[in-house]
Amino acid sequence: MRQQLETWLSGPRLLTLGILAALAWSLSRVDWQQPIAHGGGGDAALQALLALFPPELSPEFLRICLVASWHTLAYAVAGMSLAVSLGLPLGVLASGALAERPASRGRILPTSVRLVLAAMRSVHELVWALLFVAAVGLSPMAAILAMAIPYAGILGRIYAELLQDVPAEPIAALEATGASPLRSLLYGYLPMALPDLLSYTFYRLECGIRAAAIMSFVGIDGIGFQIELSLADLLFRQVWTLLIFLVTLVVAVDWWSGRVRRSLAY
Amino acid sequence: MSAVRPARTREPAAVETKPLISINGAAKVYGQNRGLSPLSLGIQGGERVALVGPSGSGKTTLLRLLAGGLVPDRGPDAVQIDGRAPAALKPGSELAGLVGIVSQRFDLVPHLPVLHNVLAGRLGYWSLARAAISLAWPLERRAAHDALAQVGLADKINERPAHLSGGEQQRVAIARMLMQSPLVTLADEPVASLDPARAEEVMALLVGLTAEQNRTLIASLHTASLIRRHFTRVIGLRASRLLFDLPAEQLTDGILAELYNLAGSNDLEPLAGLAARDG
Repeated sequence: MRQQLETWLSGPRLLTLGILAALAWSLSRVDWQQPIAHGGGGDAALQALLALFPPELSPEFLRICLVASWHTLAYAVAGMSLAVSLGLPLGVLASGALAERPASRGRILPTSVRLVLAAMRSVHELVWALLFVAAVGLSPMAAILAMAIPYAGILGRIYAELLQDVPAEPIAALEATGASPLRSLLYGYLPMALPDLLSYTFYRLECGIRAAAIMSFVGIDGIGFQIELSLADLLFRQVWTLLIFLVTLVVAVDWWSGRVRRSLAY
Repeated sequence: MSAVRPARTREPAAVETKPLISINGAAKVYGQNRGLSPLSLGIQGGERVALVGPSGSGKTTLLRLLAGGLVPDRGPDAVQIDGRAPAALKPGSELAGLVGIVSQRFDLVPHLPVLHNVLAGRLGYWSLARAAISLAWPLERRAAHDALAQVGLADKINERPAHLSGGEQQRVAIARMLMQSPLVTLADEPVASLDPARAEEVMALLVGLTAEQNRTLIASLHTASLIRRHFTRVIGLRASRLLFDLPAEQLTDGILAELYNLAGSNDLEPLAGLAARDG
């Protein structure tokens, strides 16, 4: 009987029971006398929601939105360009595709590059921003560098994996023609991984737009900065307009990436 | 069948010239598995050698040792082609000119047009800059066109490999080999995934093109009729050992059946011990 209980209580079940116990305990700690949201919360939320009908559409404000969107896009593209030009070489090194013999793939160089990439991406862009503001002051450069470093770390890691997942037979065939690793990279790894590389890069550009939008606090203009201003004045109609611009920007990038990927289909 | 009692190895007669390919006790062990037991062979320039044997018998290991993709356990010098050890050569023109390999299909790069796949045969000779430029503005287009014409696919030069049939893809791989133009052509089951008519077509092409320039061909395949028709010599491998080495015309379906089927193999002396151990 006892033995049965012990087998039943193995690994995953024990974990589930632990989590349930923690949940029960946390519920017991809630002070149920106090309302969960503050008193006027419902009204404020309703007011914010109603501001959507209609959002602020005056020509002057639309012009501000356009300029802000342009700036956000520009910062995102600048940060991403830097991230790609840093992440691609690092990703290639981390993938081990440059090793001369398959046996030596995944050795010292790829492993150390992987560590560097991990360090780059384990610090959030906002934390990098704080560091760069301390170093170069409140400037667009700080925002762009702050974005580029963690994004290069993420891109490099994903690029390395995509390059490793390329089918082995065509690569072996290229090597058998006497092609050096760099030539195999050009004629094998990169063409075969290109659709996935692009698709992931575009996805990251979408994330980059989101990140650029919230970089306003290091002093760059853009959608985030405008949202901050409008929120400070409780102008919810303007906030909605700005959010619509942000969503439009991301959808436009998605549409563009779809077109590029279709043109690459084989 | 019992009339055939092939020698374990065919020692080259003393008067013969130094062989183009010499394999001297080359062996390859992967962990617990024997890829290939120590093997010694000489192959003359211009020979067309068929490798036969069940899967896992060491054919692919032998081909990879010859191609330089694997290093023999005793060191690279155990396998020499034209006095050079392929496993010791760096990628580049020397290796490219020495030995090339055609595999089963699936080895074209599907994302590049046929033209670029054929031009890849030049990668061993090209500088990196040339290779990079050629990706955007193909160089040596004329030569690629001629190579494709030789395999009957000149009109497919701008197609994607995915739009070609299996036999056509294999012919593109042969065109790539023509661009590489090595002394020794290796082929690892080049017709394994093709129907008999296509297999005959591809084999005839491969043999015709290598024979034309008196180049050496070593191919693994399983069909006795193809071997008798196209090859000069046949080497049987089983359980990573050399079992027979015969002139191709002496290969009978019976010998092949024995090679692939353990039962009734007691006629083949080298196998007797193995059969007893396995049974």
